Amino acid sequence: MPAWICWGVWPPKWEHSLSMYARRDISRPRLIPCLLLKNGLIVRSNLFKTHQVIGNPMATIRRFSNWNVDELVLLDISDKDYHDLRRDDFPVSYRGTGILDVLREVAKVSFMPLTIGGRVRTLDDISLRLANGADKVAINAQAVHQPQFIVDGAERFGSQCIVVSIDALKKPDGSHEVYTDDGKTATGLDPAAWAREVEKLGAGEIFLNSIDRDGTAQGYDLELVRAVTSAVKIPVIACGGVGSYDDFATGITAGASAVAAANIFHFFEISYPLAKKACIDAGVPMRAVGLDSKWLHREPKYDVAAEDARLATRLEQAKKGDFPAARPEAAARRRVIRWCKKCVYPSLGAAPMEFDADGVCMGCRMSEAKRTIPPEEWEKRKAQLVKILETNKSKDGSRYDCVIAVSGGKDSYFQTHVIKNVLGYNPLLVTYDGNNWTPTGWHNLMRMSEAFGVDHIICRPSITTLKKLNRLGFTIMGDMNWHAHVGINTAPVRAAVQNKVPVVIWGEHGYMDLSGQFSMNDFPEMSYRQRLEHFGRGYEWTYMVGREGLTAGDMIPFQYPTDQEIYDLNLRGIYIGNYIYWEANDHTRAMIEMYDFKVNEEPFDRTYRRMSNLDDMHENGVHDYLKWIKFGYGRCTDHACKDIRSGQMGRGQAISLVEKYDPVKPRDIYRWLEYAGMTMEEFDSIADTFRDPRVWRWENGQWAKDSIR
Amino acid sequence: MIAVIDINISNIGSVMEAFQRIGLKTHLTSAAADVAKADAIILPGVGSFRDGMARLGELGLVEPLRSAASAGKPIFGICLGMQLMAETGEEFGTHKGLGLLPGSVVRLPEEPTVRIPNIGWCDVEPTRKSTLFPEDAPTRSFYFVHSYHLMPSDPKITSAVVKTGKSDIVAAIEHKNLSAVQFHPEKSQDAGLDLLGRLAAKVGAFA
Repeated sequence: MPAWICWGVWPPKWEHSLSMYARRDISRPRLIPCLLLKNGLIVRSNLFKTHQVIGNPMATIRRFSNWNVDELVLLDISDKDYHDLRRDDFPVSYRGTGILDVLREVAKVSFMPLTIGGRVRTLDDISLRLANGADKVAINAQAVHQPQFIVDGAERFGSQCIVVSIDALKKPDGSHEVYTDDGKTATGLDPAAWAREVEKLGAGEIFLNSIDRDGTAQGYDLELVRAVTSAVKIPVIACGGVGSYDDFATGITAGASAVAAANIFHFFEISYPLAKKACIDAGVPMRAVGLDSKWLHREPKYDVAAEDARLATRLEQAKKGDFPAARPEAAARRRVIRWCKKCVYPSLGAAPMEFDADGVCMGCRMSEAKRTIPPEEWEKRKAQLVKILETNKSKDGSRYDCVIAVSGGKDSYFQTHVIKNVLGYNPLLVTYDGNNWTPTGWHNLMRMSEAFGVDHIICRPSITTLKKLNRLGFTIMGDMNWHAHVGINTAPVRAAVQNKVPVVIWGEHGYMDLSGQFSMNDFPEMSYRQRLEHFGRGYEWTYMVGREGLTAGDMIPFQYPTDQEIYDLNLRGIYIGNYIYWEANDHTRAMIEMYDFKVNEEPFDRTYRRMSNLDDMHENGVHDYLKWIKFGYGRCTDHACKDIRSGQMGRGQAISLVEKYDPVKPRDIYRWLEYAGMTMEEFDSIADTFRDPRVWRWENGQWAKDSIR
Repeated sequence: MIAVIDINISNIGSVMEAFQRIGLKTHLTSAAADVAKADAIILPGVGSFRDGMARLGELGLVEPLRSAASAGKPIFGICLGMQLMAETGEEFGTHKGLGLLPGSVVRLPEEPTVRIPNIGWCDVEPTRKSTLFPEDAPTRSFYFVHSYHLMPSDPKITSAVVKTGKSDIVAAIEHKNLSAVQFHPEKSQDAGLDLLGRLAAKVGAFA
C-alpha cells in the first residue's frame, strides 16, 4: 500500500450540506493531537487533577511531524516558567528554562500548524510565541478576566491567530459551566453564551475541553460540543474524553471542525495514522493518512560533529577529574529530592515519575488502583485478551498465532504459561541474546522450548559488535546495556514482521508498574516512541554507525521495522499485565512449582530479590550501579517500592535495605571491565562525569547526597 | 542574498525553520537597506492587513519593496504577505496595499452555513502549469488560516484555486517576478515543503 492513500472528493457541494442549519467548513475536518506540557515534559492528565509523565516532547513531536499530522496543540500547564527534563543522559535538551525555549526546539521539527496555550496574558506573550514557532495562541483565563485582550489580540495579530480555550464542566443538574485556572475556578459562564461572546470580540477559533471527561475515555461530551458549535460561526475544536479511535467521528458529526485528544496518542503504535484511518473509514473526509515524511524521517539524524565534541568533552573531563557535579556552579542546580511518602521512590530518577498533592508517587497510586480492580473486571480483561488473540490467530496453521518476547525469566514463563497452556494458542518465542546471561538465567531460557512445547528463536548479535556497543553505550550515555534495551525491544518486533505475525506479547509495562506512567484503563501498547525515548534514551541505532567502525549492516538486529510494515501487518504489541493480574512474587512461586523455574542460587550484590533479571548479570549489577552513580538510587529501591505496594514490606525495612544495597559496587564489574577492555580507574572517572548535579555534591573529598526521609 | 522580511507580527520562527529544512539560505531582516540589496524577497505574514501595512510603513519598507518589484526581483508572499501585495485591503477599514498585484483583499463570502475564518486543510487545484504547480504535481491539501482573500482583477495571474462550489478562493498567484500563496507552505507538511523546494530551485539561482 502506498504511504499516501487518496480518499473521496472534498469539499462536497455546498448545497449538499447535512441540513440547512448545519454549518460547515471550506476546509477538511482536522484530527489534532494535543500535548500537555508540565515543566517541559509531556504529561497524561486525568480530570485536570492527576498528571503522569509521558516523556520528552521532542520524541513525540518528531513522530507527529513524520506522520504529516494536520495540526498540533501544545498546552503548557506549568504554573511557573521552569522546566526539568529529569535526565541529563538524553541527547535531547533545551537551552533555557521556559516555554519559549521548548517552542524553539519544537519549531525545528514541526512543519504543521502549531497552537500554543498556557499563561498567555499580554500582547507581548502572543508576539513572543509567534516569533518562536507558534502559529496560533490559545487564551483561557485571561479572556475571562479581561475580554478586551481578545479584541486587542485579534486586531494586532488577526482573528485567525486567536484561539479561545474554554474548559467546561458538566454540573449535576445537566447544565455546563466554564472554569478557568486548570479547572479550579468557576466563572458562572455558560459555555455556549461565552463562545458567542468571544466570537463577537474577535476570536477566530474555539478549543473546547470537557473537564469531567478529561482522561476518562468515555468519549466526547457531545451535548456540550453541539451546544457550542451551533452557537458560533467560527470553527470549534472538540477535546476531552476520547477513549477509542471511533470517538473522533462523533465529534465531527456533532458539529466540530476539528477533533482533538491528548492521552490516546501516547498509548498505541502509529496511533495518529490509525486514528485517521478510523475517521476516514467512518466517512469523515479528512486528509489522507501519511506515514513517512520525506523531509523528516523517523530515525533521527544526529549532528555527528556536535555529538563527537560532546563525547570528547566528557572523556576530557574524566581524564582531568573535572566532574560537572563537583564544580562550584553545580550548586545552583541542586534540587531538594523528595521521596514518596508511601514507598521509597525519589522525585528525581531514571523513570518518568510524578507525585500528587499528598506527596504520594503515581507508582503507588496506580498500584492501588490496580489492586482495587475486582475479579469480575479481570475476567472482562482476560476476555479482551482472548478477543485480540482470537482475531489475530493463524486461521490455517501457516504461521504462529503470536510472538512472545521472552528473556527466560519468571515473567517469560508466566506469559508463555498463560498464552500456551491456559489459553491454548501457538506462540513463537523470541529472545534477544545480549551475551550477559547468568548460568541460572541461561538454564531457564534453554528449558522453555521443552517445558512448554513451543518453538523458540534466539537473535544473537555478533559478540564483536556487542563489545563495541558495551563500550559506546557506557561512554556515550553511561549505560553499557543500551544494546540490550534496544535489542530486546526490537528483535521480537522484527521477528513478528518477518513471520507475518500481527501480535507481539510483552509482559508487564515496566513504567506503568514502576512509576505509574499510565492508568489501568489506558491499555498502553508497544511503540517506536517508547522504544527510542525510554529504552534507547533517544539514541537510535543510526547513532552508533561510524563509531568504532560499526556499519549499518552490523546494526541489523537493532533496526526496527518501518511504519509501513507495521501498518500493513496491523501489528500491535500488547502487555499481558493489562489483561491478567500481575504480581511478580506470586507468579514466581507458581512458575517454580509448575515448571521447575530456578531462582538465582547466589544472592545478587545490589538487591535482595533473587528472581529478577537473571537474563543479564549486569542489569542488576554494573548497569544498575550506574543508576546509583547518576541518580543516587538503584534496583533495590525499585524492588522495595514494588514490595511495599504489594503489602509484602514495610517502609522502614525498605529504607534499611535500600541503604544497604543501593551504594554497592557489584562484582560483575570485573567481568565487564575485561569484556569491554577498560580499567577500573577509567570506568570510575567516566562514570563520575554522569553524576547528576541535582542529586550529588562534592563534600570533603567525596561524593555526598541526601538520605531517604 | 534572499531576504525574509520580519514585520514582527508574523510566525517568523516557523518560516525560517522551513527554509532551513529545505536547505535554502535566507537572511531575516527588517531593514530597508537589505531589501534594496536583496536578490530575492520573501514576505511572510500572519496578522491583519491594516497592522501589516502599518508595520511596513513604520519600517520604511513600502517604497523599497515597490522598487524591488519593478526592478524584476523575485518576490514571494505567504498568506498576509500575499494580501499585502494587493492594491487595497478591507480588514479593519479600507487600506492601501503595496499595489504590486492587481486586485483587492476582501472578506471570504459570507454564507449563513459556512464557518469563517477558514482554518484547515483545503485541496488546492492548479489552474495552469506554473513554477509552483508543475504539470506533474498532484492535487494536494495545504493549510489555510484566513478570513480574507485576494480577488485579482486580472484572473490570468491566478495559478491555483480552492474550489468551494460557489466561488473559488485564489490559492496562488504567479505573475512575472511575483508569486504568492494564500496558504501556509511552511505549515503544510510534505506538500508545503515540496512547494517551497520548487520555489527555492527557482529563486536559489538569484542567491
